[in-house]
Amino acid sequence: MNELVLTLGWLGIYAPMALGAAASAVGCSIAGMASIGAMTETDGGYGRFVGVSAFPSTMVIYGIVIMFTLNREVTPENAGGLFGIGILSGIALMYCGIWQGRACAAAINATKEKPEIFGLALAPAAIIEGFGVFAFVFALVISAGIS
Amino acid sequence: MSDQDAYIALISSLPGSERLFVAKQPPLSRLRLDRRLKALTPEDAKVLKVMEHALNWSAYDMDVTDAQAVLRCKQALAEIPQPSLRRLFLERMDLRTVVAALRLRGQGGNPLSGAYGFGRWSRHIPANWGDPDFRLSTAMPWIKEARQLLEAEDPLGLERLLLSVSHKQLKRHAARHLFDFEAVAIYVLIWNIFDRWSQSNAQNAAARFEKLAQQAMSNVADFDFERVSA
Repeated sequence: MNELVLTLGWLGIYAPMALGAAASAVGCSIAGMASIGAMTETDGGYGRFVGVSAFPSTMVIYGIVIMFTLNREVTPENAGGLFGIGILSGIALMYCGIWQGRACAAAINATKEKPEIFGLALAPAAIIEGFGVFAFVFALVISAGIS
Repeated sequence: MSDQDAYIALISSLPGSERLFVAKQPPLSRLRLDRRLKALTPEDAKVLKVMEHALNWSAYDMDVTDAQAVLRCKQALAEIPQPSLRRLFLERMDLRTVVAALRLRGQGGNPLSGAYGFGRWSRHIPANWGDPDFRLSTAMPWIKEARQLLEAEDPLGLERLLLSVSHKQLKRHAARHLFDFEAVAIYVLIWNIFDRWSQSNAQNAAARFEKLAQQAMSNVADFDFERVSA
């Protein structure tokens, strides 16, 4: 039984990093595909498209920081806490990254037609980033209570 | 429902459908559109081809019968698995059924049996044949204007009204699809409307040119060339 609990603890430590990496990969690929498509249709502003498609890469950074914060000796007493915080923050980061990629793709698709709305079109992606930051910051706050 | 991220690059590489109607020059030719559509999977390409084949009037022979047209629509519907596209297809068929019924009644005809055309109004229309708008003015607010244009013998005005109604239907469905196959199919159908719209403008211009040319030629015919040469 203890082995299973310890395994869950280790899973919790690595989950934010793994799920954050998956989120960034999927999000960046979604936004990247949109920027490639937009480049074939427009005559300029390519740098902006590529920059926007890199937005979801922040999720893996948050995941790495959470992983280092949770990283400690895993005991049967703290394994449950590590698992809960790690898995849930990882899932939150994963959803934020994937949907941020979709928001960035929509922004790229819109700004290729109307470059003047570039800033406003990024607002949804920025709001999703804010939710990712919530998951990140409160994972750090809660993890301070785990021995 | 299709993969919602299936065609991100394809959709992003197409000019916005709104731009099709405001541009002086077509921003996307059929040749370029077909080149971009090569990114579709064979299954999706087949569905799109079936839809276009059933919806484009140019794919029908001039002497096609009602039964043949209805059969083609039924066969097409059986090959469209996406619920949104099926709804869209049925809405377009409803529109065509109503317009065909208006034309038939305008020519003094009657529906041959208890059902007419294709779709959910096929029995409702014969049952309300005597009503000017087939009791559909609530479900189809444009029907009154369509009837008036038919009565005024304004085919171009009617064509534009129907294209405008179809365009609105497509835009309504497009709002629910961003980067999936449905979005691509709706874009192509909007492109077809744009193409028909631009052709109707060209046909209008050609008809006007013909009329002006005939007027000019009639003046020339009245001219006495022999007196001038003398």
